[in-house]
Amino acid sequence: MNKLNKKLSVITLAVLATFQAQAEIRINGFANLTAGITSSDETLYGYDDSIGFASQSLFAIQVSGDISDKVTATGQIVARGDNDYAADFEWAYFTYEAADNISMSAGRLRAPLFRYSASSDVAYSYHWVVAPQSVYDVPFNNIDGIRVDYSGYTGDLEYTFQLTAGRIESDFILSGATASLTVDNTVGLSGDFVYNNWKFRGVYLTGKTTFDIPDLEPTFGLLSQLSADLSEQLRAKDDTGVFYGGSIEYDAFDWFVAGEYTAVEVENSFYPDEVNYYVTAGFRTGKWTPFVTYEKSDLNNTPKFLSDISGLPAAFQPGATQIVVGTQQLAVSENNTISVGTRYELETNIALKADVVKQSDDIGELDSTLIRFAVNYVF
Amino acid sequence: MLKKMLIAATLLFATSSVLAELVVVVNPANANTLDSKTVQRIFLGKDKKFADGNESIAVNQSADTQIRQDFDEAVLGRSSSQVSAYWSKLVFTGKGIPPKEVSSDAEVIDLVSKNPSVIGYIDRSSVTDAVKIVEM
Repeated sequence: MNKLNKKLSVITLAVLATFQAQAEIRINGFANLTAGITSSDETLYGYDDSIGFASQSLFAIQVSGDISDKVTATGQIVARGDNDYAADFEWAYFTYEAADNISMSAGRLRAPLFRYSASSDVAYSYHWVVAPQSVYDVPFNNIDGIRVDYSGYTGDLEYTFQLTAGRIESDFILSGATASLTVDNTVGLSGDFVYNNWKFRGVYLTGKTTFDIPDLEPTFGLLSQLSADLSEQLRAKDDTGVFYGGSIEYDAFDWFVAGEYTAVEVENSFYPDEVNYYVTAGFRTGKWTPFVTYEKSDLNNTPKFLSDISGLPAAFQPGATQIVVGTQQLAVSENNTISVGTRYELETNIALKADVVKQSDDIGELDSTLIRFAVNYVF
Repeated sequence: MLKKMLIAATLLFATSSVLAELVVVVNPANANTLDSKTVQRIFLGKDKKFADGNESIAVNQSADTQIRQDFDEAVLGRSSSQVSAYWSKLVFTGKGIPPKEVSSDAEVIDLVSKNPSVIGYIDRSSVTDAVKIVEM
């Protein structure tokens, strides 16, 4: 018995040792504490005229472990202030290193939409207080599916291609109404290129897009009585949606300039064609990185389907016009944002930031000014 | 006279401390020719192998040391904060793990001498027979 015990414990030890040797668990984390206050009654990014700490704050932990030489499991748990710091598994995926320059990931992962897609929550990784919301605040950041990463270089040119396929599902708010977005059969390709001080990027993504907005159903129902065809046109249901974008960056280390452009189109739907971009510049002097950013978000176009209405019986036209234009109006917006701020390196893993953001609404003629202070931490 | 000598000595000392020069070192068994671009790629996690196909493992010195800051600026061409921001991007996308950090030249020499895959950097004055200087 004693002998058996001894044997067992030897086995246990051996197994434990093997396990520890194989499964190296890495825990990393990041935190953004962002305080903000607006100068007037206007709210911006969830901040108002009394100082708030939650809206753009978040805490996250990432755990990754090597399952074998070639397979890694990664999970990222994020607690967002605008969600009452409820902890959510935003990413959970396996990565298989097929070769030195090819890896395949499967699970819930970040779609490679933007220059800072993968690290847009890690404010420590960039100079802004928060990545420009005109471009980065989209309800389709994460995807359930697979991603293949391929990278390499020839001479001084480095490149990374990411092929993504899967399904996007997310809830968001459209003009105060709860909405859910589903993009089926999503396929996207992005390419990142680095050539000396230059960085270039391009992305194209497409999928069958459905907006489920309960509040709008009665309206679509009403319209279908006037014209079933027009109602289907207006509704975003299994319609081809397209996202594309590009960015250019020049980083001379002492200073940098970068711009990023993105567009969204869901042609056969009420959703207006969307164009967003920003241009940013800054310089690095010692521990300081002062910067300025100009952003533009434009979902303000001539209403679609007006020519379809002219084909309806005259008596239906006023009612149809009201619905067709009114529905599209829901998503219409246009604004300009300018921010001026600085990053300060407190420690190698802690950055302090502050900025002043001024947003002008080109439609409502409303201006809001926000001051933010942030502590960004990584470990 | 004594004063002059003192000044001269001080000057000499100052010069030699300015000349405190870092060198990249590998295991003597590592026969690869390495240029600064390749060293940069290895330390930024872009290359995981040497030209001969053997695995490359970079070893960093801790972030608060002068030699690390010198290395980041001279070889990687960016400040230590920028390098740290660079790694934060890779770590949180599962694309890379920053090099292991040690806190002295002696530890670098120890790791390099025991493993032909390891590449590190130390002060030229610390170099021993256990490691080979990479001429870049």
